[in-house]
Amino acid sequence: MQILMVEGVFLILLIVITLSIILNRDLLATVVMFCAFSFCASLLYLIMGAPDVAFTEAVIGVVSTVFFVILLRSVDRWCKK
Amino acid sequence: MKRRFGGMILDCAFRIMIPFMVLYGLYVLLHGEHTPGGGFQAGGMIAIAIVCVRLILGTQSNLRDLGAKAALWAGVGTFIYLLTGLVCVLRGGNFLEYEYLPFFFQEAAQYHKAGIMLIETGVTVCVAATIVNILDAVIERVDEDDSDD
Amino acid sequence: MKKLCVALIILATVICCSFAGALPQIGSHVAGPNIYLSRYYIMNGEEETGSKNLVTAVLADYRGFDTLCETTVLFLAGLTTAVILYKRTREERDVPRDQEKRRRKR
Repeated sequence: MQILMVEGVFLILLIVITLSIILNRDLLATVVMFCAFSFCASLLYLIMGAPDVAFTEAVIGVVSTVFFVILLRSVDRWCKK
Repeated sequence: MKRRFGGMILDCAFRIMIPFMVLYGLYVLLHGEHTPGGGFQAGGMIAIAIVCVRLILGTQSNLRDLGAKAALWAGVGTFIYLLTGLVCVLRGGNFLEYEYLPFFFQEAAQYHKAGIMLIETGVTVCVAATIVNILDAVIERVDEDDSDD
Repeated sequence: MKKLCVALIILATVICCSFAGALPQIGSHVAGPNIYLSRYYIMNGEEETGSKNLVTAVLADYRGFDTLCETTVLFLAGLTTAVILYKRTREERDVPRDQEKRRRKR
């Protein structure tokens, strides 16, 4: 299977974003990184030639980020290590 | 989340933006056969419009009845989908066989187009109502946790 | 324990990356499931369903039953979330307020 270079860049960016989600202590920053993850996944779907899936991923990324930010009000913003 | 948020700027801005959001959602639904789009995407767009209204106006304003019984509308959307399948069975075909719909078209492809449009409408209503339903539950729970402290 | 988990993750990544070369190209028309069915959809999709967007034609016409089950699962997921997050007023709970706060802080 061959990967384009643009695809490879975005895949490595996905891994970096995932590591930053796991190893972060600020929950608001984690929620923003979730949105960035969804955005990178949407671009990847677009590069692979699936515009319907990219559209859906963008919409659902926005909706899920809004939900997480609302839920963050009842949880402490800083979690322990 | 009970009070209005944002003062006058957001109040004027969202009244201009919300009709465009709903219009774009309907455009994506109706052009699902020619451009990338379809039911799920349109449902998400309309749900984003309703979420915007809820967040800006607060939960105790007059417009909160927009989607007050969101669980009911989600069931209505699934039922529309089922109804097109059952109508085909009642008129003698298999489940979701679009040639047996009660319209009067000349070609077989037009029956398929009508069937696809009905199905996508059902999916749109279901997805939008589900997202608004989850948002309502989350906001009520967050308000309850806030008022406990 | 943590080092064991990290080592397992790295091992799984190395194994998956070494087998990635054997997968077919994305969108190739001679790969496994694409030989017969994709060809039928591309040839006959537009004239049978009347829609130029083949994704919608496959989702809503050829695989309409799967979309029905997917919509039902979405509806049930929304209902379940609303049931789990259901708000109860304090009279319906049997615990008085200071005992409840003590139980939550523990």
